[in-house]
Amino acid sequence: MARVFHVTAGSGRSAARRAPRHEPAPGPAAVPAGPSGGGGIVAGYLAPHPPHLVYAENPPQNEPRSTGGWEVLRWGYEELRRRLKAHRPDVLVVHAPHWITMVGHHVNCVPNPRGVSVEPIFPHLFRYHYDFRTDVDLAEAIVDEGARAGLVTSALREEGVRVDYATIGALHLANPDWDLPVVSLSANNNPYYYSDASLAEMETLGAATRRAIERTGRRAVLLASNSLSHLHWDTEPELPEDMGVERPFDHAQYAGDMALLQTIREGPTSRLKEAVPAHIEATSSETKAGSLTWLLAAMGWPAIAGDVLAYGTVIATGNAVVEWVP
Amino acid sequence: MTPPAALVPAMPHLLAGDPAPSWAELAAATRTVGDRLRAARVDTVLLLSTQWFTVLGHQVQCDDRLRGRRTDENWYAYDYGHLDHDLAVDVELAHAWADAIDAAGMQARRTRYDGFPVDTGSVVASRLLDPDGRGRWAQVSCNLYADPSAMAEVAAAGVRAASGLGRRPGVVAVSGLSSGLTPRWIRPSEDRVEPEHDRWNRKVLDAIAAGDRDAVLGMREEFAAAAQADSQFRAVAFLAGGGAVDRPGEVLAYGPVWGTGAAVVWWNEQET
Repeated sequence: MARVFHVTAGSGRSAARRAPRHEPAPGPAAVPAGPSGGGGIVAGYLAPHPPHLVYAENPPQNEPRSTGGWEVLRWGYEELRRRLKAHRPDVLVVHAPHWITMVGHHVNCVPNPRGVSVEPIFPHLFRYHYDFRTDVDLAEAIVDEGARAGLVTSALREEGVRVDYATIGALHLANPDWDLPVVSLSANNNPYYYSDASLAEMETLGAATRRAIERTGRRAVLLASNSLSHLHWDTEPELPEDMGVERPFDHAQYAGDMALLQTIREGPTSRLKEAVPAHIEATSSETKAGSLTWLLAAMGWPAIAGDVLAYGTVIATGNAVVEWVP
Repeated sequence: MTPPAALVPAMPHLLAGDPAPSWAELAAATRTVGDRLRAARVDTVLLLSTQWFTVLGHQVQCDDRLRGRRTDENWYAYDYGHLDHDLAVDVELAHAWADAIDAAGMQARRTRYDGFPVDTGSVVASRLLDPDGRGRWAQVSCNLYADPSAMAEVAAAGVRAASGLGRRPGVVAVSGLSSGLTPRWIRPSEDRVEPEHDRWNRKVLDAIAAGDRDAVLGMREEFAAAAQADSQFRAVAFLAGGGAVDRPGEVLAYGPVWGTGAAVVWWNEQET
């Protein structure tokens, strides 16, 4: 097991350079959407993206066929789907760690991304035909608000960029009908240069996302496309969905996940400001990519508990489906 | 015979129409490596790009032709973010390499999928090393979760496989040195490596130039931690496994690419 995902983000100097140039003033708490259908963030979900979950489901968009597997996590997603529809959102906003951008936070502003996403890491599991609509107005508003907050941002308008599996995975698993517009945000981190996202920047990006949602009057559901503990095997069984070999990497990884999930279940979310970095340190959690911090910051760190819908491992990584409703 | 080998950069800036001086020097040096590979009558290049990073097993590209256009997910706003490519894969050697990886007790994964996205590093290197598109390639992925030393065994398996088929291989690792990527949009003229990372890069390159294999491999982990080396500098493990590093490497160019360190290093073939 390599330690590539254990290292601190950049050198001290580069980390300092990556901090926001302007610390934004504390913003107001998120405006909850009213029952009459007003704008705002109506729910946030921790929505892990292992391609195995899409593969196991055998949707028509994905070329490989499976015999199933990882059912408990997929049942959790079934409940998420039911709840998501009840929230009647206008748009899904997803932050995903595998659209890796070296410079800044990018937002997909292509009106109709479509193509085949052959995943270079898991091409035997994920060759997904995607075709969805972007809420371009909201996407551009997030770019604008992020830039106003001092972040380096970029609006992707090029048609040819392949959409990554973490974006597609979370969106498919949350809404396989693809009947809602989407805004997709990149992760400004890089496993082969510097590893971790700046969580301070993710706070800023979250607040900018919230302002953009409020400015545009959307009813938005946010998806943080992150797994939890992230040490995993470096080989694979002959049958990828062989559940006979699926288990946590070790007890420490499992215990770290349970400690975080207990904090989530107890609430309030403000406790996660300390718990998330500690969990990253203990388990190399994929939340180091910043998606969960972005989500909770966008929701204004509400004084509520999260509802854990499912937990399970995928090639030994920990994954939880969690809902927060402000 | 120990095959010729090279380390070349991965960043697409080397293909910029209006490059920084260091990008142009690195690109010219990479073209020089291509000339030398052809002069050495290399049949097939055994290629590792750290930008094709994977986590399960060692993927070997088995598609005979990798043709298309890559739009880079970060650099799409620049001319060098749009990368046409057309690589001919030595499929016989690719399968033999995968078999050799399996035989060495590791897990090879044979990769052949329509629409497979060739990584930016492989495209950049292939265009500069082989501008006429006449070369043949055998590509393996960089498993970030395997122990770095595994990449040495993977390279050695490739050399054995090539030898078994009577091929004259070259060994090329496509990788940067330090990180320290400048986290904002810059003009090419602003590009520089931060001093501490620059010191580390030069220390590593000095050891490579001296042919001090033990020193190079011994400092790999510290270099990775101190300078956030690209993929924990697995490239040097791959090159060592391919027979390079234990003889002096010729540093043809060194400089910044968007704040990261990049170098072109060449090792002549050697009688064993």
